Amino acid sequence: MTIPLLTCALATEHDVVLARQRVRQVAALVGFDAQDQTRIATAVSEVARNAVQYGGGGQLEVGVERPALPGAPQHLLTVIRDRGPGIPHLDAVLGGGYRSPTGMGLGLVGARRLSDRFAIAAPPGAGTTVTLAREFARGAPPADATTARRLADALAEQPPRGALEEARLQNQELLRALDALRERQAEVDRLNATLAETNRELEETNRGVVALYAELDERASYLARLNEVKTRFLSDLSHELRTPLNAIRNLVRLFLDGVVGDLTGVQRKTAALIGDSAEGLAQLVDDWLDLAKIEAGKTTVQLAECRVAELFGALRGMFRPMQAVQAGPAPVGAWNDRGVPLVFGPADEIPPFLCDEAKVSQILRNFVSNALKFTERGEVRVLADADDDWVRFHVQDTGIGIAPDDQEQIFEEFWQVESPRQRQVKGTGLGLPLSRRLARLLGGDVTLESVPGVGSTFTLAVPRRPAGEAAGAPAREGAHADV
Amino acid sequence: MERIPILKMGPFLLVTIQVDMHDRLAMVLQDDLTSMISRTGARGVLLDISALEIVDSFIGRMISNIAAMARVLDAETVVVGMQPAVAITLVELGLSLPGVRTALNVERGMALLRDAVRRADGAGTDAGADAIAAALAGEEDDGGGDAPRGPRGAPPA
Repeated sequence: MTIPLLTCALATEHDVVLARQRVRQVAALVGFDAQDQTRIATAVSEVARNAVQYGGGGQLEVGVERPALPGAPQHLLTVIRDRGPGIPHLDAVLGGGYRSPTGMGLGLVGARRLSDRFAIAAPPGAGTTVTLAREFARGAPPADATTARRLADALAEQPPRGALEEARLQNQELLRALDALRERQAEVDRLNATLAETNRELEETNRGVVALYAELDERASYLARLNEVKTRFLSDLSHELRTPLNAIRNLVRLFLDGVVGDLTGVQRKTAALIGDSAEGLAQLVDDWLDLAKIEAGKTTVQLAECRVAELFGALRGMFRPMQAVQAGPAPVGAWNDRGVPLVFGPADEIPPFLCDEAKVSQILRNFVSNALKFTERGEVRVLADADDDWVRFHVQDTGIGIAPDDQEQIFEEFWQVESPRQRQVKGTGLGLPLSRRLARLLGGDVTLESVPGVGSTFTLAVPRRPAGEAAGAPAREGAHADV
Repeated sequence: MERIPILKMGPFLLVTIQVDMHDRLAMVLQDDLTSMISRTGARGVLLDISALEIVDSFIGRMISNIAAMARVLDAETVVVGMQPAVAITLVELGLSLPGVRTALNVERGMALLRDAVRRADGAGTDAGADAIAAALAGEEDDGGGDAPRGPRGAPPA
């Protein structure tokens, strides 16, 4: 059994010095006399040097070997292992016939002579292990775990190196620490520089953004001013145009009624054409004026109880005369000369609701007139349905339809889809935008579903309880239930 | 880099090894000493190893080398102050330090050197060398006792 006392690494020649000094200390502490201390240390020095020089470094282990039999002497055991290629001519070395280029070829032989027991194992490629054992003096106290502890304490107290060596090592450590610090400082400086650069770039970007915002603000206020001017202009213009237009319409009517004398057939036709044109122009001016009013916020919503059936009836009445009279005085929707019927769906099921009837009617009129314009065969249907919150009106046609790309644009002012049919029919381009604005004014909206070549469905949805009337809604609901 | 100091004392060089030398330090000492001999023309080298507790084959060879090189450079080498344990170990190790003169302490070592120099210079006929030797002897007598690290050549136990 061996009690381990000390282990130390062997990497440099300083370690060789350290190893022999440590071993000497251990030898002294376990009770060897000065002569044996020197012997053991010298032997260790020889073998440790070999391990460092030829073995590429290794390890030294020192321990006390307890005797197998009581009474037999115990040994101080030193084992030195290295990781070298082994010793190729071990026999020659141990036989004393080998002369080393560095030492006197006495290392291993000498170590063997200085030890009571010597063993060497040097398998090629597996490193060399040398075991040295020195017998304790007769009567030396047997070593045990307590001895090991005492030794460890004593070794810790005795620095193996001289004060100079110690100072030198400390210096080196200080220099290394200083270097590391300097590197870290440089690293921090670099990081700081990068940060400063990033900051500067961010600041520039920020300034750019602020400038852009200022510009945007300016543009926005400019556009708002422009819009205001446009609205005022349109409103003024419409009023100015209405007076002469009304004069023209009335005068044409006087002509046609024969108040100014009988007309020949050609004269009558001409007067009718003038009337048609004046009506178209009046319609355009009315739409203009409505749009301008909405934009200026001057349009008011007048809520009243509406019934879908009444709405449908009014619409039917509005379009019937034009279907019947080819050269009627009101040309709006006068294109059902192609025999496209206008069909109204059932309306009795839908309970009355609160709405501005004039505006709903205006929107539906726009839809129907549009549908009739662009439908050559099939029919135009006007339907209505309702749920708890909304009343919806649908105007379905079997006309030319609207391409998906155009579906949003037709709600913009003065925008008309490019198509052969479009060129044949007249229109202001204001009907749909006006409808959408009116619908939104009522708290609802206008939507469109369309497949080119199959037909379009325009839908108007209006709330059953408009926002301003929320408080009165339940009472009204009750009233409806009675109806 | 650490070095072993080499002191010049008249025609001799005095080297006192006070640390446990690692191998490179020993090689450096060897180089320093030879260049010092050639620079100063020293006639003798006194190597004090009284502080060395371990002399293994490498340091032994270094001592041998120093002696051999110094001889080639016309200087005698005397090793003084070897501890008895070291001496015994050296012998057991099989190192006899051939060609290296030894003396028990610095005093005897100096005397040995002076004798050798005198013999080499023609059996004491050279007055100059005598004068130097005499001066050195005086110095030695004055300062020997107070030397901070006196010869430690105690007789073998």
